[in-house]
Amino acid sequence: MVSLARKTLLYEWRRFLPAILAVGFATLLQLLQAALVLGIFGGAAVYVTGSDADIWIGYPGTQSVDQGRPIDADVASLLHMDRHVGRVEPFDLLDGDWRGGHGTGGISVFVSGIRTRPGSMMFSQVLTPRLRARLAYPESVIVDPADLEKLGVRVGDTASINGHLVRVVGTAHGLRALGGVNVLTSLETARTLDPSPADTGGPTYLVARLDNPSNAAAVVARLRGHDGFGPYQAWTASQFARRSVLFWLFDTGAGAGVLFLAAIVFAVGAIITSQALMAAVVASINEYATLNALGVGKRSLRGVVLEQAFWVGACGLVGAGILTAVMVSVARSQSVPVVMNAPVMLACLALIMVLVGISGLFAMRSIRRADPATLLR
Amino acid sequence: MTPPDVHTSSAPTLVAEDIGKSFASGRLTTRVIDHLSVRIHAGELTLISGPSGCGKSTLLSILSGLQTVDHGHVYALSEHLGDMDARRLETFRLLHTGFVFQGFNLFPALTAREQVQLPLQYLGLRQAEIDARADQSLEEVGMASRRHLRPAELSGGEKQRVAIARALAKAPALLFADEPTSALDAANGQVVIDLLHRIARRHGTTVLCVSHDPRLIGHADRVVTMEDGRILDDTRPPLPDQTKAPSC
Ligand SMILES: Nc1ncnc2c1ncn2[C@@H]1O[C@H](COP(=O)(O)OP(=O)(O)O)[C@@H](O)[C@H]1O
Ligand SMILES: [Mg+2]
Repeated sequence: MVSLARKTLLYEWRRFLPAILAVGFATLLQLLQAALVLGIFGGAAVYVTGSDADIWIGYPGTQSVDQGRPIDADVASLLHMDRHVGRVEPFDLLDGDWRGGHGTGGISVFVSGIRTRPGSMMFSQVLTPRLRARLAYPESVIVDPADLEKLGVRVGDTASINGHLVRVVGTAHGLRALGGVNVLTSLETARTLDPSPADTGGPTYLVARLDNPSNAAAVVARLRGHDGFGPYQAWTASQFARRSVLFWLFDTGAGAGVLFLAAIVFAVGAIITSQALMAAVVASINEYATLNALGVGKRSLRGVVLEQAFWVGACGLVGAGILTAVMVSVARSQSVPVVMNAPVMLACLALIMVLVGISGLFAMRSIRRADPATLLR
Repeated sequence: MTPPDVHTSSAPTLVAEDIGKSFASGRLTTRVIDHLSVRIHAGELTLISGPSGCGKSTLLSILSGLQTVDHGHVYALSEHLGDMDARRLETFRLLHTGFVFQGFNLFPALTAREQVQLPLQYLGLRQAEIDARADQSLEEVGMASRRHLRPAELSGGEKQRVAIARALAKAPALLFADEPTSALDAANGQVVIDLLHRIARRHGTTVLCVSHDPRLIGHADRVVTMEDGRILDDTRPPLPDQTKAPSC
């Protein structure tokens, strides 16, 4: 079986190189953009994704984790009444003004007050048991190592938050936040740092583990519609994480920017790819016309162009995939927040294959010009 | 004027009955084929000759179903071409016709063998059959030893022989050639026209060749001379190099 599409692609690779590069760069840009967006805006949900709670209870209508307001601590007893709910844990989140050692000025930080008991849910993905235990000492805090410089401290140094003394007792990767710096401390220390303790004295959130995570949606539904506890709302962990990321993505206008850039990359990629494919068809238009004279249908000839588009896409995707993997690992090693997950990657790749398909369909139209009558002199 | 017809017993394979064709360029319409009738037979090489622009190529494209007529009827292998839509014409061409053009129109990426195999793939033949036919055709045009070369490595005469092999491998009943020798030197032109002649004799193919080159006249079984869209003359020249040629 002679594959005209593949043979031509290999023999005239120079002609197809622009198309392959266009597909490759479009893929690379979409993937890197997605990885950066996931990495940066995923930071908005680090409290949720870095912990292993199944459901979150917070102030009604909270758009993003960092926007929480205190709730009634008695809601915990309501949680305990549900037989699917296991452990329940309070989580305090408050704003702080950090003053580091070396004249760094004031830096706004998010102070997370968490349980220090072994096996606690909050930041279980980020903290080792030993690190968490260190928070039990009063005034101890833990930050992301990438934030140390910004905070003007090293491990062991002291600083102040809202005018109260704190000591950096360790660092943990994966705490970088959006629009500020995350500082972990114990619930008790957090309370002393709070400049305006809530009237209710309740926590910002209550998080809970269930007997089985798949019950989360049902438990959340049951928690709706109880009154007498003051205002609260329940979310599953994944709901709340998504809600936080989307809030930041669209509140900051970054979402629109991302979509805009994606559309431009798509359009430019499609134009270059279809032009290159078209040029390849036109270069062989007499040969195609001869095949048509010999009775090879226009439909089959269009198939050749589509096959070419497919192989151009495949080459571009493979090249971009390798490049992306390299760049993501370099970015990771430099603490650039990049995250990739399977659904987003597949969505990017599907988008590129649509680009290739559309380019192929456009290029296919030039087969119309393969008219055997033009071969007669 | 009645053509001297030695094939009175066999039915003609290509028939044009009072056909006409005009082209409009701007406000001007030029009549390119003017009330022309002709019958062409299998097993011989018919040469359509005449000065440039007299409508030879247009006649070939009409007889091969590449263009339609303004009036009149065209029958190829007893089928009325005017009744076929584009799809059916493609199928008819796939099954019955081969083409050789002035430009060789070979794909730069393919070897000689692949050029010949490519159209056969669309006939739904088994791979072994495709290979056998391709090799046999290349053998017949004397290109078997060069079958692994790409067009860039072939001379003009060799390229045209590959193009002939590509048309021949389909085993077409009708073989059309438009100015097949015009891009070649005299020696290579001789080789090509002799090949076409031999194909007509050996396979019983209807070979219709169009050329303004008077040097080909001596190599045809029948010469139809055109002028201004009409047939001026229709003769069967004696073939000096063909000792076993039928007397006429
Ligand atoms: N598609 C076309 N549109 C307009 N004029 C055409 C077209 N094809 C051929 N002609 C004209 O018809 C005349 C005959 O053309 P053609 O059959 O190619 O002549 P020949 O092959 O004998 O040299 C020429 O004057 C040519 O310009
Ligand atoms: Mg001509």
